[in-house]
Amino acid sequence: MEYVSPEGLRIDGRRPMEMRKLHAEMGVVAKADGSAVFVMGNTKVIAAVYGPREVQNRSQQMSDQALVRCEYSMANFSTGDRMRKGKGDRRSTEISLVVRQTMEACILTHLMPRSQIDIYVQVLQADGGTRCACINAATLALADAAIPMRDLVTSCSAGYLNSTPLLDLNYVEDSAGGPDVTVGILPKMDKVTLLQMDSKLPIDTFDNVMQLAIEGCKAVATYIREVLLENTKQLEYHRGV
Amino acid sequence: MGRMRGLEIPLTQTQKIRLQRALQKLESLSSKANSNASVTVADSIPVNYDDGFLKGHGTSELNGEVIATVCGVVERVNKLVYVRTLRARYKPEVGDIVVGRVIEVAPKRWRIDINFSQDAVLMLSSMNLPDGIQRRRTAVDELNMRSIFEENDVVCAEVRGFHHDGLQLQARSQKYGKLERGQLLSIPPYLVKRRKQHFHYIEEYGIDLILGCNGFIWVGEHAEPKDDMVIDEQANKSDQILKPSKYSMTLEEQERAYTPLETRQNVCRTANAIRVLSTLGFSVTIEIIMDTVTMSMSLKEIHEMLGSEFCVLVAEREAERRSSAKKKG
Amino acid sequence: MLHNKSFVRKTKSGKITKNVREHYLRDDIYCGVPACKSCDSSAARLSACPSTILILDTNVVLNQIDLIENPAIDDVVVLSIVLQEVRNKNMAVYNRVRALCSNSARKFFVFSNEHHKDTFVQDMAGESKNDRNDRAIRVAAQWYQNHLGGVAKVLLITNDRENKRKAMEMGISAETIETYVKTLGQQDLLDLLVRPPSEDVVMEEVEDLRPSKRKVIYAEHKPMSEITSGLHRGIYHQGKLRVNRYNPFEAYVGSESIGDEIIIYDRTNMNRAFDGDIVAVELLPQEQWQEENSLSLADEEHEEEDVHLVPGSADDAPRTANPGQGSGANADLPSSRPSGRVVGIIKRNWHSYCGSLEPMPMPAGDGGVAHALFVSKDRRIPKIRIQTRQLGNLVSKRIVVTVDSWDRMSRYPSGHYVRTIGEIGDRDTESEVVLIENDIDARPFSSQVLACLPPLPWSVSSEDLANPIRQDLRHIRAFSVDPPGCKDIDDALHCTALPNGNFEVGVHIADVTNFVHPGTPLDDEASQRGTSVYLVERRIDMLPKPLTEDICSLRADVERLAFSVIWEMTPEAEIISTRYTKSIIKSCAALSYIEAQARMDDSRLVDPLTTDLRNMNALAKIMRQRRIERGALTLASAEVKFQIDTETHDPLDIGMYQIREANQMVEEFMLAANVSVAEKILKHFPVCSLLRRHPTPTKEMLEPLLRTAAAVGVNLDVSTSRALADSLDRAVGDDPYFNKLIRILATRCMTQAVYFCSGDLSPPEYHHYGLAAPLYTHFTSPIRRYADVIVHRLLAASLGIYKLPTVFQDAAQLTSIADNLNYRHRNAQMASRSSVELHTLVYFRKRPTDTEARIVKIRSNGFIVFVPKYGIEGPVYLTERSEKGEGEWFMDEQQQQIRKMDGSVTYGVLQKVQIHLEVVEPQPNRPKLQLTLI
Repeated sequence: MEYVSPEGLRIDGRRPMEMRKLHAEMGVVAKADGSAVFVMGNTKVIAAVYGPREVQNRSQQMSDQALVRCEYSMANFSTGDRMRKGKGDRRSTEISLVVRQTMEACILTHLMPRSQIDIYVQVLQADGGTRCACINAATLALADAAIPMRDLVTSCSAGYLNSTPLLDLNYVEDSAGGPDVTVGILPKMDKVTLLQMDSKLPIDTFDNVMQLAIEGCKAVATYIREVLLENTKQLEYHRGV
Repeated sequence: MGRMRGLEIPLTQTQKIRLQRALQKLESLSSKANSNASVTVADSIPVNYDDGFLKGHGTSELNGEVIATVCGVVERVNKLVYVRTLRARYKPEVGDIVVGRVIEVAPKRWRIDINFSQDAVLMLSSMNLPDGIQRRRTAVDELNMRSIFEENDVVCAEVRGFHHDGLQLQARSQKYGKLERGQLLSIPPYLVKRRKQHFHYIEEYGIDLILGCNGFIWVGEHAEPKDDMVIDEQANKSDQILKPSKYSMTLEEQERAYTPLETRQNVCRTANAIRVLSTLGFSVTIEIIMDTVTMSMSLKEIHEMLGSEFCVLVAEREAERRSSAKKKG
Repeated sequence: MLHNKSFVRKTKSGKITKNVREHYLRDDIYCGVPACKSCDSSAARLSACPSTILILDTNVVLNQIDLIENPAIDDVVVLSIVLQEVRNKNMAVYNRVRALCSNSARKFFVFSNEHHKDTFVQDMAGESKNDRNDRAIRVAAQWYQNHLGGVAKVLLITNDRENKRKAMEMGISAETIETYVKTLGQQDLLDLLVRPPSEDVVMEEVEDLRPSKRKVIYAEHKPMSEITSGLHRGIYHQGKLRVNRYNPFEAYVGSESIGDEIIIYDRTNMNRAFDGDIVAVELLPQEQWQEENSLSLADEEHEEEDVHLVPGSADDAPRTANPGQGSGANADLPSSRPSGRVVGIIKRNWHSYCGSLEPMPMPAGDGGVAHALFVSKDRRIPKIRIQTRQLGNLVSKRIVVTVDSWDRMSRYPSGHYVRTIGEIGDRDTESEVVLIENDIDARPFSSQVLACLPPLPWSVSSEDLANPIRQDLRHIRAFSVDPPGCKDIDDALHCTALPNGNFEVGVHIADVTNFVHPGTPLDDEASQRGTSVYLVERRIDMLPKPLTEDICSLRADVERLAFSVIWEMTPEAEIISTRYTKSIIKSCAALSYIEAQARMDDSRLVDPLTTDLRNMNALAKIMRQRRIERGALTLASAEVKFQIDTETHDPLDIGMYQIREANQMVEEFMLAANVSVAEKILKHFPVCSLLRRHPTPTKEMLEPLLRTAAAVGVNLDVSTSRALADSLDRAVGDDPYFNKLIRILATRCMTQAVYFCSGDLSPPEYHHYGLAAPLYTHFTSPIRRYADVIVHRLLAASLGIYKLPTVFQDAAQLTSIADNLNYRHRNAQMASRSSVELHTLVYFRKRPTDTEARIVKIRSNGFIVFVPKYGIEGPVYLTERSEKGEGEWFMDEQQQQIRKMDGSVTYGVLQKVQIHLEVVEPQPNRPKLQLTLI
């Protein structure tokens, strides 16, 4: 299969180093303390954050920090074929864990002892890169809920097909079965907090692919920052003095 | 960002333009004040290192730089630098008047949800007893706690402070206590400003309005504090004697339980006004609420207040109000 | 960051699922004309000032690829939508167009119209996919016209009438390919044109006006939907059609659904399917299943078996029908093998074929259009009807022809002429045919490839000497033993006696990977070629000559880089230790097998080199014995060797290839090195090693051997390779050649060994049956086999010397490399055989000969003989062909005998007969070798 044409275009018309169109919106769930929709091309993820609030299960309450929980799910209509998906399948459990651990690492949990933060992410449309979109949406939702964080976390994937590193794989490219690197970074601190890879790559190629994914993360970060700042300003000037 | 956050009402093209214009006006009015004070997570906050400074809420230090940990507006009070968050949960301060909902009746205390990261606790001992007498609480009192507040009751109280494991409330005044015959509204707490007066009796409409600092707002039929006590007493008595049911109420009691239609309409009007303001993200003060209520009088139906036209009108009105206030100022 | 201008969602509705794909439209796609001012011209491909820019419609590209490949057609813009459509319809054409687009000598430019913001067209309601694509082509053509303004003329070439009309309406100049070619004014281009089928029908009608004569010959192909549902319900079976190489009227379809091969007899049942087509087959009712034993099949075309070389393995051997319960008595019972007929063709495997025109009288009007029948060299291909304007010219030529269509009204497919190779019978022409037939690239190496070579003259540099990974073994007495005249010496040996009584034995292999680096054009080319091809009169190298004959070749008395496997062995040939290292050696002698043998045999010689040889030989004998005990088969081949006249390149003499002890000695150490390397690489890279396996032959495959053996009273045990080896040893008849004959027959029952990627199979399947080795690979001939190059890289990586190239991470790519190697290897062998056959024919043309032959197979109207002296095999007819075996001969299947009805004469299998060999020419320009009984 030809994923990059000799003219240097991918199947969807992007060049190898280009990301899909990004879009984000905040405050989409009225009842939640924080919420956001994050869109990367045709991948659309909604995230809602509740808390910090009273710990539901007292036995899990921690006297020195907040409890972070995360639940990932995929809407039945998110993929081409409408399939009823159980809640607790392996993939969901795994992604829930990945998102939780990634977010927990950047939330200043010690500032909110004896409380609980719930993050719900749901994939509304799946077209590759759902994991990254979930993390980006969760970051936005947490920021919307004004939960103190060390830094933003942004994520982006990159792959390697037809001997070319490709940024931000869509579903077709993702299902090609090639190497697929998902990176999550703390852009300000310049640290990697998440790194996952399917398949394998030689180490020097891996460096290139990972570097590309990091560049992608930074681009996402720039965009998320814009969205957050715009949102903050809007809230502030609407409120008035 | 074409769309405004949280606004789910479909607008016509002209309404869209009008709203946009009103919001732009608001932006231009406030931008001069402190637009570049807005920060997002991990933005660095410029500080004067020579003078020394104190890091307040929403800040942390990274590589010698002060950075924000939340989105909000940088505030500086003397040497203190902190980020005032918008959209956060309620941060209690001692003396705040809050409205809350009873979650649980526990031994000697009620747990109350006040939109804080933990449930607040109202001790039976921090509560004036119905009979109004100051005394030690007995086991009987403890057994009768449900006759005072039950689960899901809406109560009004004052923040007493933090005590070992949580936030304590108190309700040692006639004006605090259970709220009935009205609506509880929940709005983002940053829209409620702390003021001297949070209890408002609007005689004109015969309603009470409590702007809880935690973003919970009570709009209900006016209740005379003294009468309340009587009712409570009577209720207590009747409780002890026989379980009162709707049908066994006396005529007088039914009269009391009945809220006149006009009052109910006024409650709805006020509540809707608050809803509109909070959707638009405007501060909710008694003056603006009342102004909005007055505006709504021109509408035929109260529910139209939640429609698009009224929303745009409120935005325009607000823009006008602020600009005239600015000129005066 | 560059981002899309706007984007459109493209909905592609499948059967059930709905796929939504993003489709970004861009403003940075350029027109490819260097003269264009508004576009970035760095990637421009067209001529500086093109007079006319051609835009081709899909149907033109699909049908007229041969014409497009002609250099007369240039300055072509290939639209991405056209490429996409071509790709979906015909991968082979797609690859050819892609090759054109990347060929720097041609001016073909790919314009990604589907992603250009101005040329993208939205699907319209009620519009078919085809119409939409046609519209896209027109829109792109119009864009070019507007974009270029007066710089160049834009011409849309389409054979679709409707498309042309609409284009004209839009103000685009459009022409059909015919009219365009005519304007070029080159007559020979017209022959390359493919005539549309509709036109074809018209012409046939002109030929024969009576409609009653136009009868339907073939059954209609079922529509795809019906085939799909039929396959689903199990009525039809899908598989690749393989036509019997020796009987074009018999084909096999390997079907996974019934787990057996379906036989298809005669062309009516094959229903226009070609060899290699993916077809849907319907099983015939069981009573129609037939057994075929006749030597040549009854058919109006009189095609019969040819004399050919003795097959080397089951892969080359003619397919025989399942002997099953076949005996004379129950011959008319239906056979157990399913037969079927083709109901539809799922994927065509048409490509171009080499052959010649069937001799025919010249048409009256010279120079006009003539119809002719083309006969392919490949007997599996039916005759092809073509039209030509140069009949007189082509009749005596070898030409290349492509198939265009096959109408159910016509007996033969129609095609068109592509090019001429040369005169029939001319040795160069015929050799080229052999190469084309076997898909062998004999073109000179491109300049990019040659640019990868180190500068000449090359010698070992001080850097090489200083390199810590390279061991200096120049002091070692290494030598090479090869066939006489060998120039690509890729192995050398040494054998030193150690003080402790053991021997240090080393195998030094040319370090090709030191010069061929992964990812370079040189490497790509070598990987494509896969192997060097040895023809009788020439060699087609896998690597350019300087590498093959000089830089890599381990010639005597020069320092060369090598990759060495060094063992310490006890005098009993037990390996004590093995080590692998890159090295520098200096061979002290390049011996031929004969020289080496002579040295060993001459007891007067006691020089160190001869001593080494003798020591090695002693070790090799022990190793060989041990290997045979393990169950390795000693098989025999009927390889022949030509003596070629150096001037005329005509064969002077043929003889069996002689195998000496020296050959076996070298072979033994090569095998040992291969096994040692296989173990090493598999240990380090369990999933991405390239190994070689030889599958255990199935019972069915050995059946013909057993039958023949039983007929002559030899009992073979085939339960294990060991048992077979033993029973082969025991099969000694009264005549000295008997054992060899049995071995030759055994060899041809086996399939060939194949390369594979270790990740694709489980370890028990790695087994090499013939060598009785659990692991085997090819390491010792990197100059002439690409597999060895790969193995060198693996070995280097396992030693930690170099990093493993990236292809090894990609299992799919590795598998495809292994498949290509197998394909090339097989083709190279086929080509060698064809070349030998060709020279055999040339040899006997002037030398009719009487000689001794052995009967190897019995048929109902004759038998097939094997001529050991010349290594050929062919049919001997006892009856005239027209009588079809109904004469006085009777065939006894059980005894493998053919008897005259009156019992006077009997011929049995393996019997010795005297035959006469002669070249006859039943038709002009069609010489063939005929065998007759004396």
